[in-house]
Amino acid sequence: MRKLTKGLVAGLGLFLLSGTSVLAQELTIFWAEWDPANYLQELANEYEAQTGVKVTVETTPWADFQTKAFTEFNAHGSAYDLIVGDSQWLGAASEAGHYVDLTDFVKENDVLSKMAPATVKFYSEYPGNSGKYWSIPMEGDAVGWSYRKDWFTDPKEMEAFKAKYGYDLAPPTTWAQLTDIAEFFYRPDAKRYGVAIYTDNSYDAMAMGFENALFSYGGELGDMSTYKVDGIINSPKAVAALDNYKKLYSFAPPGWGKSFFVEDNQAITENLAAMSMNYFAFFPALINPASNPNAANTGFFANPAGPGGDQFAALGGQGISVVSYSENKEEAMKFLKWFIQDDTQKEWAKLGGYTCSAAVLESPEFRNATPYNEAFYQTMFKVKDFWAVPEYAELLTALNQRVYPAVVGGEGTSQETLDALAADWKAIFAKYGRGG
Amino acid sequence: MGTVTSAQQKLGNRLANVMIVVALIVFLAPIYWIGSTAFKPRNLATTVPPTILFTPEVSPFVKLFTKRVQLKPNEKVDYDNAPWWEKIVIDGGERISRSGKGEVQLSGYPSRFLNSLIVAITSTFLAVAMGTITAYGFSRFKVAGEEDWLFFILSTRMLPPVVVAIPMFLMYRAVGLNDTHIGLIILYTAFNVSFAVWLMKGFIDEIPREYEEAALVDGYTRMEAFWKIVLPEAATGIAATAVFCFITAWNEYAFALIMTNRKAQTAPPFIPSQVGSGLPDWTVIASGTALFLLPVAIFTFLLRNHLLRGMSFGAIRK
Amino acid sequence: MAEMMNRLDPMSRAASRGMSDLAIRNLFVIPTIAFLIIFNIFPLIYSLGYSFTDFRASSSAPANFIGLQNYRDLLADPFIWSNFTITAKYVIVSVTGQVLVGFGLALLLNRSFPLKGLVTTLLLLPMMLSMAVVGLFWKLLYDPNFGMINYALGLGNFEWLSDPGIALYAVALTDIWMWSPFVMLLSLAGLSAVPKHLYEAASIDRAGRFYVFFRITLPLVAPILLIAIIFRTMEAFKTFDLAFVMTSQPTTELISIRLYKMAFQEWQTGKSCALAYIVLIMVLTITNIYVKYLNKAKER
Repeated sequence: MRKLTKGLVAGLGLFLLSGTSVLAQELTIFWAEWDPANYLQELANEYEAQTGVKVTVETTPWADFQTKAFTEFNAHGSAYDLIVGDSQWLGAASEAGHYVDLTDFVKENDVLSKMAPATVKFYSEYPGNSGKYWSIPMEGDAVGWSYRKDWFTDPKEMEAFKAKYGYDLAPPTTWAQLTDIAEFFYRPDAKRYGVAIYTDNSYDAMAMGFENALFSYGGELGDMSTYKVDGIINSPKAVAALDNYKKLYSFAPPGWGKSFFVEDNQAITENLAAMSMNYFAFFPALINPASNPNAANTGFFANPAGPGGDQFAALGGQGISVVSYSENKEEAMKFLKWFIQDDTQKEWAKLGGYTCSAAVLESPEFRNATPYNEAFYQTMFKVKDFWAVPEYAELLTALNQRVYPAVVGGEGTSQETLDALAADWKAIFAKYGRGG
Repeated sequence: MGTVTSAQQKLGNRLANVMIVVALIVFLAPIYWIGSTAFKPRNLATTVPPTILFTPEVSPFVKLFTKRVQLKPNEKVDYDNAPWWEKIVIDGGERISRSGKGEVQLSGYPSRFLNSLIVAITSTFLAVAMGTITAYGFSRFKVAGEEDWLFFILSTRMLPPVVVAIPMFLMYRAVGLNDTHIGLIILYTAFNVSFAVWLMKGFIDEIPREYEEAALVDGYTRMEAFWKIVLPEAATGIAATAVFCFITAWNEYAFALIMTNRKAQTAPPFIPSQVGSGLPDWTVIASGTALFLLPVAIFTFLLRNHLLRGMSFGAIRK
Repeated sequence: MAEMMNRLDPMSRAASRGMSDLAIRNLFVIPTIAFLIIFNIFPLIYSLGYSFTDFRASSSAPANFIGLQNYRDLLADPFIWSNFTITAKYVIVSVTGQVLVGFGLALLLNRSFPLKGLVTTLLLLPMMLSMAVVGLFWKLLYDPNFGMINYALGLGNFEWLSDPGIALYAVALTDIWMWSPFVMLLSLAGLSAVPKHLYEAASIDRAGRFYVFFRITLPLVAPILLIAIIFRTMEAFKTFDLAFVMTSQPTTELISIRLYKMAFQEWQTGKSCALAYIVLIMVLTITNIYVKYLNKAKER
């Protein structure tokens, strides 16, 4: 009887212990479920072959990625050693101590000169210009555009376009052209539409879409160092940008009120739109004939310039950080050290990852690897990002509550919308004691 | 109107049959669409009009069970030496991801499916068992503050899971229950037991006490009367409760997502994750959904006679 | 060992010795209640406590006691009120729809006909799917460009989910499709319990069909139907995945979606706990009314 009890107790103990992994030669990286995570797993397999350290990339659906990651952080969980987190998380994750401070690592390993400057600025540094770094740029990403080459090069279309607008039909270089072309191809009777844009308001899609107009119009979200927003997010440039974004929505396919990366890619595959906005990370599916019947006829261009000649795109992408509560921080650092080596970065790009390594990005080999890599290369030096303060999600909610009804529901004027947004943001910053 | 002639009855029956057929079509059309998409080639998945006739493929299932990455332009794969199931994947513009040692990497689906089975079956059994005895206790004996206790039991299901999730997660982590099967089983049992108590009380209340009292007179103990008289009479209720509890536990999403990592993950969060790569492969989502529907459907079908027998003895009311 | 088993198995011991009713009652009722109390007490107290603070789970800053500030802020927020109005509309439409369709189906099925078991099982299929997956598929089915519904009904470009006035009802329709079978199955169990002799008596009395339905069928099915309604109302109040996956409209932002954003995107833990308590009090009140009706229905 005693033996049985002992066995039971031991078994229970083991069972309870098994909740936490204590194996040193294993690392777990957490990311969202998508192709780049699979590429990272393949890269990590090479690391295992070289060092014997097993690295597992664990994934969760995109829609739940933030929830899952922060629930784990907030409970100081050690399930993940490394995390490939969104740039907006930097403020929340660094201020609360969830991320390990990588400033020394960045300096010792010369990350600043290895990676493209914009990527270090947005994926690693917080607060802005503080010289404190929390992650290593891993997956560069920004918004670009895909378009239907066959529609653009159809002689009849080209002729009609020229007659109507007085210049040649070609991938747009300005937002004015983009809007003309969207209007030109908007033909509801033929079930063809002008343009596919982001509208989903469940998280950051609406913001990421609108930012492309805002930044290229020379507008800003606010002053990132003083947190002043009034007079900036509702400036005449910002109002003009919102007017333009609303106009684009009127040329979008029907039912475009909840669209993000999936819907925008479908606009191309299902012959719905002439042009479609999307993150570069989702373009591989568009050049694959198995997933896009129009693969051969799909072209790409960088986010066009605004009326003042400014040209910026909304940033996507992620850096990789070490989780403070990991029990394998040393091993995690070793992995990062390996990851930033030039050879590894080349391999990462070869596997399909969007490297942030300046050397690899600039190489002709990379720029010619796919039809969109050139546009990606150009864009990555002209990106801007959303607020990265810990309360960024409240700022997103306010933006969704104000901008969504304006774009999709056509409510109010752009000035009213952005004035209201400026007031909301001001109140949020005041609540957290930022700015004056 | 009172006396219904047989001709009228026949017409009524026929009308009812027609309506049932209509209901079947409405309720099953989306399911049929899911089921057929599970066997379609990818390019036929979202066609309008829907493709009815096609050569069924198993490729969605091969994709469902493996980890894949898209083929890059000019990427070389050893097509000729690939086994048939890998050829299907390559034909679909993807290749199967392999570990450093060259082993085929499985997707999360098979292990998650197994976890779902373990968790759902065990928690359903526990919830129904606890629900039945507790309902019997409330139905047959005097409990001080009975209505308040019953309302308390009901109220445990009212809080939106979103709110309970954070404290629950902290609690689980403190006692080491996160990412374990036991943890999910306890959670789902707690979640379902309130439903089971209420539903079973509804059913047991309908069973006349006279049945048990007669048995007690015949020399049964109370416990024997419960086992041999009440339980069989409550079979319909037990079957219905079990079906509902199983469905709830089988499909639970929010807690499954937050409370588990690698060891005890269940399948529901896996299926939506398939939209991640820019263009969802609806055939894979459909095959994952269809396969996941199968255990519940079989479970329900096996219990159908109990479900339909109803409370056959009829209610004798006071 | 055998002795040990005996001691561990109260059921068999009870059966052999004949437990007192009191012991059986305690054995049957107390463990469940104790389990539920232990399991729920911590989350409930945690949420209540933090609802009076400015706590953010994502931050390392300590929580400050701010009294009723969260409650005041929430009740003064026009967006929250609109979330509640939307939720009320949704609950009413979707539960009413489920009861009408589900009970109607049960009436149709409540007789013997060939393949009854199979037909019933097939009709139960929708509720066996997971909400998130149903949301994904119905979003596709509703799509104005390549969805099956507009094609099948010849509706052209009808925008089910992008029209702010329609979207909520489109989501409710999906919910009705999914959960009517639940009401159907419970109603069916209730209907089959109506003693045949009551109908026979009514037919001798030349009672009209409406009379039979409202005076015999409905009162007898009412208790189980009300249980179905209670649970569907509670679930409809909590509906999250379906609306979240299918639409983005401000007119479909149910209270649970707002709650999710507040708790898991914005990490305003204190405020979201306060909102949760407001929701809890509302659901408690509504359920309480239902339960009163239920008890009345049983007394009849």
